[in-house]
This record gives sequence, structure tokens and C-alpha cells, in this order.
Amino acid sequence: MVRYLAKRIFYLILTLFIVTTVTFFLMKIMPGTPLTNEAKLSPSERNMVLQQYGLNKPVWQQYISYIANAVHGNFGTSFQFSDQQVSYLISSRVGPSLLLGLQAIIVGVLAGIVVGSLGAIKKGTWVDTTTTIVSILGISIPSFVLSILLQYFVALKWGWLPIAGWSGFAYTILPTLALAAMPFAESARFVRTEMVDVLSADYIELARAKGLSKFGIIYHHALRNSLIPLVTIVGPLAVNIMTGSLVVENIFAIPGIGEQFVNSVVTNDYPTIMGLTIMYCFMLCVVLLITDIIYGLIDPRIRITGKRG
Amino acid sequence: MKIKSAITAGAVGISSLCLLVACGNKQQSSSKLVQWQQPGNLTTLDASKATDNVSFGTLNNSNEGLTMSAKNNTIKLGVAKNYRVSSDGKTYTFNLRHSKWNNGQPVTAHDFVYGWQRTVNPKTASQYSYLFDHVKNANQIGENKAPISSLGVRADGDYKLVVSLTKPQSYFKYLIAMAPFYPQSKAIVDKYGQSYGTSSSSMLYNGPFKVTGWSGTNDSWKLIKNNNYWNAKNIKFNGVKFNVQKDSNTALNQYSTGDLDLTNLVGKQQVGEFKNSKELHNLNMASTFYIEMNEKKNPIFKNQNIRKAISLAIDRNQFTKNILGDGSKPAQGYVSPGMPKHNGKTFVQDAGTNIGVSYNLNDAKKLWNKGLKETGQNSVDITLLSDDTDNGRSTTEFLQTSLEKLPGLSITSQNIPPKSRISRAQSGQFDMVINSWVADFPDPISFLSMFVSNGSYNNGKWSNSKYDALVNNAEGTDANNSNKRWEDLVNAEKTLMNDQGIVPIYYPVKPTIIKPRISGIQFFPTGSPYDLRNTHIDNDKH
Repeated sequence: MVRYLAKRIFYLILTLFIVTTVTFFLMKIMPGTPLTNEAKLSPSERNMVLQQYGLNKPVWQQYISYIANAVHGNFGTSFQFSDQQVSYLISSRVGPSLLLGLQAIIVGVLAGIVVGSLGAIKKGTWVDTTTTIVSILGISIPSFVLSILLQYFVALKWGWLPIAGWSGFAYTILPTLALAAMPFAESARFVRTEMVDVLSADYIELARAKGLSKFGIIYHHALRNSLIPLVTIVGPLAVNIMTGSLVVENIFAIPGIGEQFVNSVVTNDYPTIMGLTIMYCFMLCVVLLITDIIYGLIDPRIRITGKRG
Repeated sequence: MKIKSAITAGAVGISSLCLLVACGNKQQSSSKLVQWQQPGNLTTLDASKATDNVSFGTLNNSNEGLTMSAKNNTIKLGVAKNYRVSSDGKTYTFNLRHSKWNNGQPVTAHDFVYGWQRTVNPKTASQYSYLFDHVKNANQIGENKAPISSLGVRADGDYKLVVSLTKPQSYFKYLIAMAPFYPQSKAIVDKYGQSYGTSSSSMLYNGPFKVTGWSGTNDSWKLIKNNNYWNAKNIKFNGVKFNVQKDSNTALNQYSTGDLDLTNLVGKQQVGEFKNSKELHNLNMASTFYIEMNEKKNPIFKNQNIRKAISLAIDRNQFTKNILGDGSKPAQGYVSPGMPKHNGKTFVQDAGTNIGVSYNLNDAKKLWNKGLKETGQNSVDITLLSDDTDNGRSTTEFLQTSLEKLPGLSITSQNIPPKSRISRAQSGQFDMVINSWVADFPDPISFLSMFVSNGSYNNGKWSNSKYDALVNNAEGTDANNSNKRWEDLVNAEKTLMNDQGIVPIYYPVKPTIIKPRISGIQFFPTGSPYDLRNTHIDNDKH
């Protein structure tokens, strides 16, 4: 286990390093500087600005110092916000994105499990058809469409919830629902398929033969085994959602990092784009690692060393 | 960016379904603060480093310079109680009133000297230090060739400021109303160092409001009445809450429920909904969109007939009315309206409207054929570069269709992010590019100085010695003679338009809706975006 972990962590660092390197050089190819009205500055003023951002050195030197700083958690100074550290920019905006993501995952996955199970239990009936349609809709309706519809009907027309902003729980409900559609639909689909399989397994027959109640069978035997594949998808899904949805955050004016990411792209704020990319990558790697570990714990059939016994 | 555009397109489509109903809502907030939408973040409160309109708007109302912008391109006195200009136009003497920072410390002439020196100091890396170029030694300091203390500004006691210019500058009074010329407290700058102006608490305010609740990166902040302001008794409302809302449809929804008092409209459809509403204000911008033709890369553009033909083939009325439809106006020349009048006449009136910009396809074709003959070409393939914004795309689509009516001309449109477009224009990587200019201060020179032969924004490299001489005279020999200077500028504009050195297309406006309970916000087309010193909230007005 320790050896396995060490190996995985080594790969994690390697991945981060490669992603950082590739992003760094891609950004260098792109045009754009922190200057907004370059032409009107004297050459020495221009140099001063470039020097402030360390952009006057050769690219390889910039690269080495970037990596050295990044190891210490310093991702440089934002081009867009003057004198603002990228690490502060990210850390001060990550909270709302994480909170929304967490809420969306919990709501989405729980609802998905219930709906998926219902579909499997009532396989072939109208309940099954309805749940399937609902989950297909959940996957195929883009989150921005859902956001706009929710905002228009729930907030604007019926006035039940605030339209947009960030000052309390009520403000999180609509974006949470918009974000939850994806994990809901994905988990409903997975749970249904898996449970249909499980329900026809021999041990369910056995449980039935033992005279267990229907609820008991579903809850204690079927559900538990149906959830295993869910673990694989929830991890990456969580990262996807917790790192902030660009569109949903924009529509609901959430002061999160997804919105910041869009903004940095539009304003050519390369240090911020770099910092966010590295953070996304780091979160994804860590979550995948955790997923693999949990997977092994839940299902002993899977050997984490990778060798089949 | 493609994905984003697709999303935007989709979002616009769906919300257009919703919009019709949304508009019927007439609710107003009863908040004591003006609820104001901002399309972007506040990026700094450091007057030396601000570069965007959001930051300038907040700064202009939380700080104050010697003078302030006022209605109809006039100025009113700020921290300066009065001032005197020497007869040669090179020395300005300001007497300052006794005023205070929000921490109770006095604002003195030394704060101005320090603030100006700090902006000009190359170590500060201010991107607006060029506004000081007429102040004695400013350029030398910028090039590290003179000590910072040699800048032409000195304090004569605590309440008198003397400024020396290298040559007369009739628009200097407008410049000193802008943020880079604000006073700054050395004690506070030293105290906060690198973090000065990066949050609302690491900053001092001498204006009518102080900024609160800005962490440096968050999406909302407030302007709250500053009781230490010298004219605080005449500030009749509590302040403003700014909310960053980048999605214009959401902002419109918030406006209709009364969550917002003020928001900008984007595009034909949104503006159309408010076409007949008295809540709609088409704010002028002193800005012009124009085509630059790269004479260096495509020698065909050196031909005057070719340039004129391109200009005449564009139906600007149709474009602004039917395609943009957001209140933008067809260009009548390069210098936009909104400049100060001279002897009761506007610049556009004097410079003769519509030289070379009236749509006439027949003339265009004739000139085009003549031009082709002169240059010995049969067909021309060119790329038209513009932004990947909605407006950028509409513009390239329209121009492509219009210009391809010229025989033998085929055009490929290229739409890229604005910052990349600027950088490609500046490095000369284009055939034709659509650029825009917003005047920094209300004087035609802010436009016209751009297209002198060695002008740093002259990307197309159009060159005309008569034009160069006229602009140089306006800034030099005639600088202190307002009649001759005006004549120089008018003739420079005429020369540029007769020759179509650039092809102006339209003057944009900023369509803004404001709830009836809010009144008295003064907007400016240049420099400071708006002034809240006379704003009122009256909750009974509907």
C-alpha cells in the first residue's frame, strides 16, 4: 500500500510538472502583455512594467523561476488586478465554487440514486420510462439553458428566489440545481443499469428466498453493490463541478473561480490562467487517487497493486 | 472562445423568449444605496495604476484632483480653490482649499507633488504616465534621464501648487481632473507598500465617498459618503453598491425586479425593448470605430482611390440602424462628437460633415476601377481582422458583404479576441483591421495625434506631410492661440478624410437604463466616466 501510494504520488507530481510546462510554453506563444496601452509608453517605462512581471528575461529563465516559485505556491502577479498575487486571487474565490459544487454533488447524486433505483425496481413500467427520460434530459440539457430557465421562471416570474448574487443560502439554491443536473442524470443512469444487473444476481434470489422484505433486499444487498461503479464517476464529476462552472457562475454572478477563469481568458491574464490550470490539474489528480483507494476499500475484488490474484 | 460564443448565442436565443415578458415588470428598489451593475471587476484603487473604466469610475468618486470634469466639457474646481495660468501658457499656479483625507489628515500641495512624481516615476510603471508629457522633465524622468525631484511641479507652502509645462497645453485643465493627477499620501503609500490600493482598506480617500467592502478580488463593493469631504454637506445620498454582473441578461432580469437601479444594455434586442422608455439613456462615448489599411504590407492601399472607394462602399446608416441597432451613430468623420465647442460651433460642424463617408456605390466602383488600373491589379484578396465579440462579428459580416460589391475584391474575415487583435494591429500583421479609439480627454487632438506619420497607433502607416505639419502646429507654434489651433485641427481632420487615411465607420454609444428614483448622475464621454456629487435618490418617483 505504501509503495503504491508513493508511486502514485510520484506520478501526480510528474503530471503536474508536465501540465505546468506545456501550459507555460503555450502561454508564451500567445500574444499579449500586462500592458494595456503599450504604444504610448516610453521604452524605459515599458521595460519597467515588463521587469515588474519578470517578462524581460529570456523565456528559459522565466520558466525556471516560474517552476521554482510554483513549488512554493507562488504563481506570480495577476496582469489584470494590479499588484494582486494569483495565489490570493484563487484562494479568495475558491470558497463559493467549492460550496456550490459540494451542494450540487450531494443533491445530484442522492436524487440520482433514488431515481435510478426506482427505475430499476420498476423496470419496464412507466416509472422506468419516466426516470429514463428525466435522466436523458438531465444529460442533454446544457447547464446554461437550465440556468436561464430556472432564473426566468423561479426567480423572475414567480419571485421565489433571488435572481443572482451571493449573499446567503437562498442565493445558492438555483445555481446548485443547475449544477446538480449533470451528476443527477449520470448517477441515475449508472445506478439503474447496475441495479438491474444486481437484482438478477443469485444472492438476491437467495435473500428473497430467506424471506427478507423487499425494502430490506434493496437497501442492504442491491443498493450497496450497485453503488460501486458510482464511485468511479463521482470523483471526476466532483472535480469538474467543484472547480466552478464557468457558465453557471457567470449567469448567477457567483464570485467563484469559474467566473474568474473566463475573465482571465478574456483579459489575457496569463498568470491567473496558469495558476488555475495547475490547480484544476492538482485537484483532478488527487481526487482520482482517492477514488482508486476508496474503490479498493469498497470492493476487495479489486487489488490496488494491479496484479490479479 | 468559440465555445463561449456558442453559449452566448444560445443564451441570447433563450432569453429573448423570456425578455418580452420580463420587460413589463416595473418594480423599484427602496434601498438607500444606488444598486449599480458593473460589467467587470474593480482591479485597483491605486490612481497611478488604474487602466479600466470600472476602476476609474470608483476612483473619480472616492478621490478628487485639482479640478473635476463637469457638464458639456467644462471643468469645475476640486481641491483647487482657484488657479492662474501665466500669459505664455506654461505656468499654472493653484491655490488649494483646506480639505481633508477621510482619516482627518489635511490634503496638502505636497500630496499632489508626491502623487504626480509617483505616477511619473518609471518604477511605478504607470500606464498613463504619458498624460504628463507636457509637464517639465516628465519624459526625461520616464526615460531615467532626470531625477524624479526635477518634475515640473512644486509645493509653495502647504496650499499652493506651481506647475511648469514645457509648452502650452490648452487641455491641461482636463488632464488634471483625471486619476493619475490625484493627490496621494506618502505616509499611506509607504505604510502599505506593494499592497497599496489593492483593497478598500489599504487606501485613503479625499473625495465625496470612501470605498468599503472591497477585498481586492470580490464582486461587490460600496461607495459610502465620506463625512470628511470638504463639500460633504452638499452630498445628498448615502452611496452606491456596485455588483459585478457579467451576464447582461441576468443584469436585465435584476433590473426588472428592482435588484438593480442601473445597468448597461447589450445589443439590438435589449435596446429595442427599451426603445420608447424614458429609463433608457444613450450615453455618448467620444469614441470612433474605424478601418485601418496596412499600406506597408499591401502597397495597393497606398492608392488614394482604392482607400476612397472602400469608404464610399459602406452604407453606414444601414449598418448602425439595421445591423447594430443599439443606438450607435454613423460616423461623419474621424473625430467623434462630444468635443468642446469653439466659438459656438462643434468640431463636426466646422470640419465639414461627411467628407468621403457618404454611401455611393457607383462612385465607389468608379474610383475602385481607377485605382486598380493605377496599381496594375485585376483582383485583390484581403483579410479583414476584427474582434470575436458580437459587435465585431456583425461588423466584419456587414463590411464583407458591402465591400465585395467592388469588382475583383474578395475578403476573408478573421475574428479574434480583442487583446490579440490589438497586438496584431500594432505589430502590423493585418491587411485591414477594425480598431476603435476612445478619447482620453475632450480635445480633438486626442484623436488626431494618432495618425501622424510616426504615431505609435498609426498601424496602417498612412503618411501625409500636410497632416503632420497641422498636428505639429496645433501642439507647438499655435498651442497658445486657440483660434489658430482650432483651425489646424479642423484642417487636419479634413486632410485625413479627403485622403481617407483611415475609414471611419461608427460612433458607439453606451445604452444604459436607470430607474426613475435615481437622478443627477453626470456621465462624461471622456476621462472620468461619471460623477455622483449631485446624485439624488427619490423613492417616490416612478
